[in-house]
Amino acid sequence: MTSFPKLTYELLTVGEEFVSDTHLVTPEDIEAYAFAVDDHHPWFSGPSPFGGPVAHPTLMANQALSLRHGKYIVHAGLHAKMEFNFLEPVRPGTRVRSRGRVIDKYERRGRQYMVTEYVTEDEGGTPLVRGQFTQMLIPEGTRHAGR
Amino acid sequence: MPVAEAVAVGQELPSLAKELTQRRIDVYSGVRPRSIHTDEEWARQKGFRTTLAQGMMSTAYVSEMMTRLLGAGFVRGGRLSMAFIKPVYAGDRLTVHGVVKETRPEGAGTRVVVEVWCQNQHGEKTAVGTASGLRA
Repeated sequence: MTSFPKLTYELLTVGEEFVSDTHLVTPEDIEAYAFAVDDHHPWFSGPSPFGGPVAHPTLMANQALSLRHGKYIVHAGLHAKMEFNFLEPVRPGTRVRSRGRVIDKYERRGRQYMVTEYVTEDEGGTPLVRGQFTQMLIPEGTRHAGR
Repeated sequence: MPVAEAVAVGQELPSLAKELTQRRIDVYSGVRPRSIHTDEEWARQKGFRTTLAQGMMSTAYVSEMMTRLLGAGFVRGGRLSMAFIKPVYAGDRLTVHGVVKETRPEGAGTRVVVEVWCQNQHGEKTAVGTASGLRA
């Protein structure tokens, strides 16, 4: 049984690891993502140079970004930076999983940040996307002054 | 979809325009309560004037622009690094820009490096960064 403490800057540890559940990438996922970002490239549903349909390269980014939700209750946060290395296309029918590790946390101008490196892999362990992201924590009971 | 026939340093890529409707944000982020992306009251409680689009949506737009430029050489071998410097709100209209800033040999091909940014309807930059991919 997993317990879910509230995520705080103090509780977060550099070096701690996260892992997502496995997700089966479906044609519906790819279609919904195409709608969301208003990009209907023909490779998403038809032939491509990779031998069949492939997903938008950033399709699984939210799986990585949500890794901390598998361990903590996250009050609120903002995404500050994102890096991707697209290693292999994500194809429908693939089961993918993301793993992450906190590599830094810091405070700047009164705000708290965490940095996570991640990899999204297929069921055989082949890395599809690697990268890292920086997220701002908005502590409970506080407001973020919209910039 | 054909990729660009020629790439030169200083070349400005065709810009993209994106309407950030709440419906698209809902599909992108998944509707849930207590989300600054899909719960307007919660977003206001957190100090924002309305719901915000995820910064990640801007990376998807840049990815689209780079795939139009480089095709398979971005889908496999692409890199993208962006900083989100200003919130993007539901109802905003973004334009996505890119200028080729470097080409360099890599393996059997050429890595094309592009300075990228997104700008809202007020002319304010909301995200800035660099993207690159391989050209055979």
